[in-house]
Amino acid sequence: MRSEIELQNVNAFVDGELDVLSQREIEERMKHDVALRAQVEGLRHLRATVRDLAEYHVAPEAFRQRVASLVAMPAHMPARLSLGKATVQHWLAWRPMVVSFAAMALALALLVLNVNQTRWRPGYDDRLGEEVVASHVRSTLGQHLVDVTSSDHHTVKPWLSSKLDFSPAIQESLLPGSVFLGGRVDYLDGRPVAALVYRQGEHVVNSFLWPTNAVDVGAVFSAKRGFQIAHWSRNGMNHWVISDVNREEFGAIVHALEVAEPNGQ
Amino acid sequence: MSDDEKQRRFELLVLPHLDAGLNLARWLTHNDHDAQDVMQEACVRAIRFIEGFRGDNARAWLLQIVRNTCFSWLKENRPAEILVCDDADGVLDGIAAPAADEPPAVAMRNADRLQINRAIAALSVVYREVLVLRELDDLSYKDIARIVNIPVGTVMSRLARARGLLQQALLAEGGSVPRSVRL
Repeated sequence: MRSEIELQNVNAFVDGELDVLSQREIEERMKHDVALRAQVEGLRHLRATVRDLAEYHVAPEAFRQRVASLVAMPAHMPARLSLGKATVQHWLAWRPMVVSFAAMALALALLVLNVNQTRWRPGYDDRLGEEVVASHVRSTLGQHLVDVTSSDHHTVKPWLSSKLDFSPAIQESLLPGSVFLGGRVDYLDGRPVAALVYRQGEHVVNSFLWPTNAVDVGAVFSAKRGFQIAHWSRNGMNHWVISDVNREEFGAIVHALEVAEPNGQ
Repeated sequence: MSDDEKQRRFELLVLPHLDAGLNLARWLTHNDHDAQDVMQEACVRAIRFIEGFRGDNARAWLLQIVRNTCFSWLKENRPAEILVCDDADGVLDGIAAPAADEPPAVAMRNADRLQINRAIAALSVVYREVLVLRELDDLSYKDIARIVNIPVGTVMSRLARARGLLQQALLAEGGSVPRSVRL
């Protein structure tokens, strides 16, 4: 039986958390040490099994809405919600009513949306445009450009599908010279969305998409804070694309995305 | 800070990580209702601290709040679950380390969703939290150390134990599966 420390190091090795030298050392030893190799394989298998099969509990929409409105109604919230049994029971007792109110509000909202179509809301595109810019800037400033790094849509698509409630269509190339960097889950318009990331020369292109029940609308172009933005809806999917490439190139990128988009996604 | 600014920061910093937070709360409390109550309380706390947040890792920041809220809740509602952590690692070290040389792959090949979920849920909470943070949220050892408020070395030892215990549990379950099915 291996020592405790050795076991921890093998775990760290499998997690990619060892420094380069120690990582190398284990790789070298694995060539001759059958037991070590079996152990590494066992751990990798365990990791894959847990990742594939363990349940990821996603927030239900009603809960998301409830939480999203927490800031707006501090007056109704106790300064500190004690989690004592009594309070919890009290809260539980009220929950059906809260939920039914939320459901009613949601139903009303949906009714209004159906009648008016989402895009008739004044300032909706503008506000969403701001969110898109903020998300693009965040992604390029930090180190969080992609969650899953791969130029292969067969890797990125299942990863995104597993994190989202839809399966985004992925196009690997936009223009000659563009590189597909991968994808990440982002948050726009009050919901998680797929972000596909491309590099076009020195520029980053973020392409966001998520399902919508709005009717198809052709590409609408705008510019905000020096970024080129375009958005359109097609086949039940909302698309927002943003980049700091020049306008001509951006037009070509949007065209490539819009034209090549597979049907029925 | 105005309410608008708070709302903006809340949407930027907290809402994107709502799933990660709820998932952690759900794994630590074992059921949906309690997880939602705890997560909501964590959000209320996050709103209170949101002015002070200056870091760049909002996910780890929120998960730290969720984790602490979970432990307050556990202390009050499931004290038996966290008895063992009050004594920290002295007690934990007494638990036998799983044998490392066992071949776990065979038994796990047929581990199904139910078995995996049950085996993780059965882990003691200190092992469960590092495992969930590592495998389901893909967090680095450094982030986990910060969230759980333990040194990186302790993250390593708990994670190694968590996986060892999980392998053992699945191996034991695998024993009840007919051999023909197992291959």
